[in-house]
Amino acid sequence: MVLNVIDLIGRTSIKAFNGIGNIGLFFYDSIVTLFTTKPKIKKIIYQMSFIGVGSTGVIVLIGVTVGAVLAVQSYTGLHRFSAERFIGPIIFISMAREFGPILAAIMVTGRAGSAMTAEIGTMRITEQIDALQTLCINVKQYLIVPRIIATTLILPFLSLFCSLCGVLAGYFMSVHVLGINAELYMESIRENVLLSDITNGLIKALFFGLLLSLITTYKGFITTGGARGVGIATTQGVVYANVTIFVADYILTSLMF
Amino acid sequence: MIKIKNLKKSFGPKKITNGLDLVVPTHDLMAVIGRSGEGKSVLLKQIIGLIKPDSGQIFLDEQDTTKLNSKELEDIYKECGYVFQFAALLDSLTVFENIGVTLLENNVDPEEVKPLVIEKLRSVGLDEDTLDKYPSELSGGMKKRVGLARTLMLSPKILLYDEPTTGLDPITANIIHELIKKTHTKSSATSLVVSHDVEIFKFATSVSMLYEGKIAYTGPAKTIWECDNPYVYQFIRGLEDGPIKTK
Repeated sequence: MVLNVIDLIGRTSIKAFNGIGNIGLFFYDSIVTLFTTKPKIKKIIYQMSFIGVGSTGVIVLIGVTVGAVLAVQSYTGLHRFSAERFIGPIIFISMAREFGPILAAIMVTGRAGSAMTAEIGTMRITEQIDALQTLCINVKQYLIVPRIIATTLILPFLSLFCSLCGVLAGYFMSVHVLGINAELYMESIRENVLLSDITNGLIKALFFGLLLSLITTYKGFITTGGARGVGIATTQGVVYANVTIFVADYILTSLMF
Repeated sequence: MIKIKNLKKSFGPKKITNGLDLVVPTHDLMAVIGRSGEGKSVLLKQIIGLIKPDSGQIFLDEQDTTKLNSKELEDIYKECGYVFQFAALLDSLTVFENIGVTLLENNVDPEEVKPLVIEKLRSVGLDEDTLDKYPSELSGGMKKRVGLARTLMLSPKILLYDEPTTGLDPITANIIHELIKKTHTKSSATSLVVSHDVEIFKFATSVSMLYEGKIAYTGPAKTIWECDNPYVYQFIRGLEDGPIKTK
């Protein structure tokens, strides 16, 4: 019984360290390829369009909803202390520092990250990646690096856009529904919001983009086992990327604020 | 020349190649036959470096590919072409982009690539109408031909075919076999065709049989039907009784 438990712990640890080691090597290879080969500009632009333009609708919807909810929730609490004028900065800082980056990252993981895993995974099981290799094409340069660059660069913009939608929705709810003075709302934002609230949120988004693209492309790259394998890899890619984003969010927040 | 010495590869407890030795002379067209799941495709992938063997040596024109890193293997890929079992065409690219992918990715002008692609396409019996089609619009036989045309773009000295006629009707299979023979005659590339289609004997110059991870027989293709090797005898006639375990 005890030996079985030790055996299980040992196997699980080896598997976990193996996985971390492999993703580390994958990341290292990708970074080396990024700096030693000419970037595929067309592919990067295509991916930025797929990830960015394609995700805009859902980002607007989520940003507006969260901004409106923040306005109502903040009003409920602040009204008890007659501090309603702070609704503006609360919404702005919450969106810029936290909700913008994390919501954009989660939405992009679900929409584009899953597509990246499924596409690369399908290419793996149908030997298309092997074919690229035998045709003297650098697979990392062709498939992985454009996706990593595109996601890392586009996520700060999506985060900013999500925050903007949230702030505008918050303004609308606060001023037109909850009856807060528009001048007071804006003045309060000007007085209490710092530029670092925005820049730190953008830095977080940059890291989230890097992590989610790395994890989802990696899961696709190591896919095995046919259609079922692609399904499992896609699910794992999305789950691992989301968990990593939350952990990274905590670490980055602790470091930056 | 392809020379394989004491090649071993296992997946978990299952031994795929188990001390395999094989020599394919320069300019030869050798067929490797064997039952499904015997490890024929794994053998080809080990030869080209897509799968790392556990031990043993593989020499392609005197260079041991098992010792090469991924960067050095790129030079091997320039000399060695691989025709995949199901063609492995890039499904997001057209036939033109598939065949010319190596040149296009190296920023060669598409206008310069086009005549070369058309030439290769014609050499496999397809015309220009297929250039703008996607793999999903092609039949199985056409996909295999496009796959071959794509491999021929690099003018390889060594050609590896992985089950080129699997899933094709007898007429199309015969056309593909003819094409392999024609390509071999024209290019003189050392060719290794993995197959379990006995019709390949009409086109190959020599035959090797893979059984239980080793080469059980090597001999000329012309006289294979007179061969008295018990493994070959049982396999090519599809007999249930014999030294090959069927259960």
